[in-house]
Amino acid sequence: MKNRKINGGMIRRFSPLRLAEHWVNAGAIAVLVLTGLAQKFHTLEASQWFVLHLGGIDTVRLIHHTAGVVVILLTLQHILATSFLVVLRKGQPGMLINKKDVADTLENLRYYFGLRQSPALCDRYDYKQKFEYWTILTGQILMTVSGLILWFPTVAARFLPGEFIPAAKALHTNEALLIFLLIAVWHIYNAIFSPDVFPLDTSIFTGRISRERMVHEHPLELGRMEGIPLEAVLKERREEMHLLDAESPLLH
Amino acid sequence: MHGRKQLIGWLTACLILIQPAITQATVPASPTSETQNCLVCHGREPAEKGGIGEEPRAPYVDMAALKTSAHPNTACSECHREFASGKHPDPRFRDAQQRKLRYALKCRECHSDAEITLKPIHARLLENAQEGDAPVCTDCHGAHNVTPISGGKVLQSERRYCQGCHEHPVTTDLRSGETLMLQTDLTVLDGSEHHMLSCSDCHFGFSSQEHPQRNFRTLRDYAIASSDSCKRCHFDKHTRTLESIHYAILNQGNQSAPVCTDCHGAHGIAAVGKDRAFSATRCKQCHAAVYETYAHSVHGNALINERNQDVPVCIDCHRAHDIVNPLTLEFHDGIPDTCANCHSNKRIMGKYGLSTDVVKTYLSDFHGVTLNFYRKQKEALLKPGRPIAVCTDCHGTHDIAGDADTDPLIVKGRLLKRCQKCHPDATENFSDAWLSHYEPTLEKAPIVYLVNLSYRIFLPVMVVGLILQILLHIWRYAVNR
Repeated sequence: MKNRKINGGMIRRFSPLRLAEHWVNAGAIAVLVLTGLAQKFHTLEASQWFVLHLGGIDTVRLIHHTAGVVVILLTLQHILATSFLVVLRKGQPGMLINKKDVADTLENLRYYFGLRQSPALCDRYDYKQKFEYWTILTGQILMTVSGLILWFPTVAARFLPGEFIPAAKALHTNEALLIFLLIAVWHIYNAIFSPDVFPLDTSIFTGRISRERMVHEHPLELGRMEGIPLEAVLKERREEMHLLDAESPLLH
Repeated sequence: MHGRKQLIGWLTACLILIQPAITQATVPASPTSETQNCLVCHGREPAEKGGIGEEPRAPYVDMAALKTSAHPNTACSECHREFASGKHPDPRFRDAQQRKLRYALKCRECHSDAEITLKPIHARLLENAQEGDAPVCTDCHGAHNVTPISGGKVLQSERRYCQGCHEHPVTTDLRSGETLMLQTDLTVLDGSEHHMLSCSDCHFGFSSQEHPQRNFRTLRDYAIASSDSCKRCHFDKHTRTLESIHYAILNQGNQSAPVCTDCHGAHGIAAVGKDRAFSATRCKQCHAAVYETYAHSVHGNALINERNQDVPVCIDCHRAHDIVNPLTLEFHDGIPDTCANCHSNKRIMGKYGLSTDVVKTYLSDFHGVTLNFYRKQKEALLKPGRPIAVCTDCHGTHDIAGDADTDPLIVKGRLLKRCQKCHPDATENFSDAWLSHYEPTLEKAPIVYLVNLSYRIFLPVMVVGLILQILLHIWRYAVNR
């Protein structure tokens, strides 16, 4: 993207809207997970302590519903705004999954097992990020639908078979666990504990990413952004890899 | 007049002198000649009672009673000193009580205080006498039929002692005009749970030494006061009843509220719990309508018609002594535990092919989870929100019916009505949201089952996959360094 400024080795990666989205979503999901898991694991002492200290189950449900409404509105906003941008050709559908993502996955696996010298060459979003994005997005849609059924069961039963209500409950509780585990395991690792970003990937908070990380993680996007050929980016990357190469006889 | 009386006296004396030779074998004791003389007039049974304006009649003395009394050979004048063969003064008494008192004093002329106070109850009575409450010997011992209380037998136990009076139909009048029957049938006591007990174990304050005067207004007052005895031994039960609704009602002044003896009986006291059907009939005494409803329920029918001892009776759900008000939210919220007592018991449910998962499925569903939180909130002194449907809200209380033989559509219709009590806008489909205590299976709830199944597969696969990715990533990083 031409309008992205490069200064001091930092490249603009996210617009303020995306930063706000992340903050709101992170906050709302934290509230939902806490108030939701306390209900899912209702027999645990800790859950009961938590619920009682928030003023009882009715208060917890009120908080859960309020945070739920925030997520519903945010998700709707995200889908509408993103589609709008793509339709108006003001943004690129960078999150769309394509054949290359499958190839990248396999390439990276080979790299991890030492069968390849360098990791896959990724565009703006790599396959890991896409997986996380789509899991969270579909998750939030599923949570919205099932959550509304549970919130208004009598209304839902006017249009749906009654069995959809317990099914919605099963879906809501399982999907919640899935989202929670995805964030707790995958997102936290990639954003905090991964050696590439440790102690914290600050790009979603500052909106900027170092050029060095772009070379490694998003070479295709960097090349397109700076208008330089991919070969030049790869050369930069190889130089750094070469240093590593000398130390590591495993890589050939 | 005097001459004739004297003649009769002499003739009688002669007769008596020769009589022993004739009747010794058949009559063990015979009245003295003086007595015979007196009985000429006093032995005639009066045809009619004397009254005002009529000829005063001679007081009647039953010779047969006199013969079997403790004084068969005592001459009349030995007690009635002012009378003799030729002496018959006109007796003048203010009233019957005065006459009784006067003659009772005669007893003490022979029976010295030292002698009678050997019996502790006499000692106590004499103490009372000093306070102006003079004992009347004849009240207990009779007059001409005077007899030891034991009836001649040796009193070996307190029971026998009390029975001396209380085996007779003695009564006392209460202030309300009601009559309290004081007769006690020992055979009833012997057949009871308390057959080893002695009278004063329950009637404390009474003994062979003490017989305090009680003053009750009504029979009910007496019953309520008497049941206080029970707590001396059954204090645990007593403290529990203090928490009961019956005690609360009694405290508010409703004397119809049951006390111990109303359910357990008094002398014929029974362990009510031993026969479950019997225990239900105790409650029926006051709660007849509820009993009728219960009798037609799946539980009551089995109890009464099949003599089934597994089904709950009143006290299993309401408890026996600490019966709380069943209309409180506390009782309502405890109902799942109440039902779980049997319905989670594999041994009992197994006999009837019933599932023991009913309580578990309820507690893990929306209503059960909310209910449990509300209960915890209550413990933490927070106010619970509103009543939550428990077992009885769908199944009914005393009219619980088994639905094994009922058309599922009828059951569904009934269920919807119950749902609408709390969810007034519920429509036909809504009641299907409840899986009827079944764990979701492919047959019973396929959508729920498949949702759960897919997550059960996908979730571990995803988490394991992600963790492997992370480990590979770390490994590659370590190798590269």
